[in-house]
Amino acid sequence: MSSVIERSKKINQENSSMKRYAYYLSCINESMTKEVDKSIELWQNDLEIDFVKLHESTCCGGSNLDYVSPKHFALVNGRNIALAEKLGLDLVTSCNTCLLTIRSAKQKLDESEALRDEVNGILKKEGLEYKGTSEVRHLLWVLNEDVGLDTIANKVKVPLKNYKIAPFYGCHILRPSNILGKDDPLEPTSLDKLIEALGGKVVSFEHKNKCCGFHTLLVAEEESLNVAAEALGEAIDSSADFIVTPCPLCHTVLDSYQAKALKRANIKKSIPVFHLSEMIGLALGYTHRQLGIKRHIVT
Amino acid sequence: MAEHKEEMRDITFRINRFNPQVDNKPYFDDYTIPVERGITVLRALNYIKEHVDATVSFRAFCQAGICGSCGMRINGMSKLACTTQVWDELDRCKVDNVIKIEPLRNMPLIKDLIVDMDPMVDKMKKYSNWVESIMPEEKMGEKEFLIAEEEFQEYDKATDCILCASCMSECSILRAHKEYVGPAVLLKSHRMNVDSRDGAHNMRIGELVKDHGVWDCTHCYRCQEACVKSIPIMDGIHGVREDALISRGVKDTSGAKHAEAFMEDLPKKGKLIEATLPIRTNGVGWTLKNLLPMAFKMILKRRTPPPPPLVKPAKGIKKFREEFNEMSDHVKRDRKEQKNKSGE
Repeated sequence: MSSVIERSKKINQENSSMKRYAYYLSCINESMTKEVDKSIELWQNDLEIDFVKLHESTCCGGSNLDYVSPKHFALVNGRNIALAEKLGLDLVTSCNTCLLTIRSAKQKLDESEALRDEVNGILKKEGLEYKGTSEVRHLLWVLNEDVGLDTIANKVKVPLKNYKIAPFYGCHILRPSNILGKDDPLEPTSLDKLIEALGGKVVSFEHKNKCCGFHTLLVAEEESLNVAAEALGEAIDSSADFIVTPCPLCHTVLDSYQAKALKRANIKKSIPVFHLSEMIGLALGYTHRQLGIKRHIVT
Repeated sequence: MAEHKEEMRDITFRINRFNPQVDNKPYFDDYTIPVERGITVLRALNYIKEHVDATVSFRAFCQAGICGSCGMRINGMSKLACTTQVWDELDRCKVDNVIKIEPLRNMPLIKDLIVDMDPMVDKMKKYSNWVESIMPEEKMGEKEFLIAEEEFQEYDKATDCILCASCMSECSILRAHKEYVGPAVLLKSHRMNVDSRDGAHNMRIGELVKDHGVWDCTHCYRCQEACVKSIPIMDGIHGVREDALISRGVKDTSGAKHAEAFMEDLPKKGKLIEATLPIRTNGVGWTLKNLLPMAFKMILKRRTPPPPPLVKPAKGIKKFREEFNEMSDHVKRDRKEQKNKSGE
């Protein structure tokens, strides 16, 4: 744990206008969608953000651990949040499911003193304590709320004015609203506003707040692909140039599984899918190659 | 005292019409009527039926959010017409002052706004969603069941369900496959499973873990968000899953194996070992058949997850593992205590 303490001291000593956050390492961004963290690293300084990577953080349990073992779920995510609290920083993630999972554990810990005591009884051996002082937030929220759309608009070097963009929010940044509660799950706007701040044109997209089917890909593949195909089909019909999503799991279905999904639905066209972090990178002047866009299956 | 004046406005209700004896496909009719602030969508529909067009068909009964008959999609969202204020919908209109009224989705359309509820009822039967009493027939009436408050809390919320089918209408997976059990049915199953008077638990769970059952839920939370009674439906669905893992173990279904993988991987590396997840979930044959063609493309783009030995463990994994195992001891202790308690 010494590394977290050292970093904590370092952060306190530094005095700058940088906004600092503890950055949670999502399993999928460490393995299949590495371009997410790579692109954030490119532009974080431009937006005066410093993401302190939490190398000690572990898998959140991906919307499964909560019912497989509710107590391990509380321990694992109580620890993930406690790592951020030790640094005195909010915890930021760029994966929707990590967001919902960790926030839902936080809600359970905040509600139950007994659970908190049990978790902290174990965490104290590592010099950690869950206090409930750090917020758990999504990258999209931080950009909207802390950095601000005006600031982002002022930093744009290559406005996305030639692009029509279909925003796909994904479920776990919207629902359940009693745990997430930033965007209206029926009419979300945060991603739309960001696209506009970057100079892009938002297309009307009914599926913007619907599901990608990721969580049943390995269990009910046919159903998942039907769900994905419906969203992809509408985006293609809307004549959008690309879909953008703040979730690497949605990206995996909509990009890597796109050919398979569209084949089932007998749709001949295709549509590129960008991560939120890549879209920002493009507007801030970085190239497709730098941002890792060439690693996508649909290009 | 100022004169009290009700706010009035002309509002158009764009209503789905379909008469299978005449129409090839559904279409919309517009009805523009003067509406006073404070009027519900159901009262507006009744006004249209009584004063404008008696052929507009919909189900309704109690007018008070109790019977669950008037479920329909209002401006794209499944809800009850009787508890939805017209004025609350005005901000959500795609065209100013035009409220779109459609039938519930995922169920066969009978006429206009009326859908066939039988598929949901049939599923309630398929999954035996009633209390199958543990008391022998001949003992009935001799002794009453006493339910502890703690037990009642487990299914208190689920009993609020009025079977309006709004959640079924919004379900992503039911839309993708009509055989899927669906949220209202899963919620009811959980409600019965945790009832100590019920003796059909094992049979019910056995059915729920089969194809199109509980493991096919994709956790989109659209059911919960739509619920007109604010029931945390996903807690019920997760309850069925937790129950299935405890009572049936992880050996028998891909859903259970997939869920258990998170528990298995965490103490190893602190990370999900994604490369072997398809094989662990569905076996080698399925993985080769379903994922091999994709894998080539993924390898070319360097998108494949690293093989297990190359998954970088979280920093400080040893300490984390100790903590994880300590919690495992707590869980074992809890289960033992619970077993002793229920054996008393």
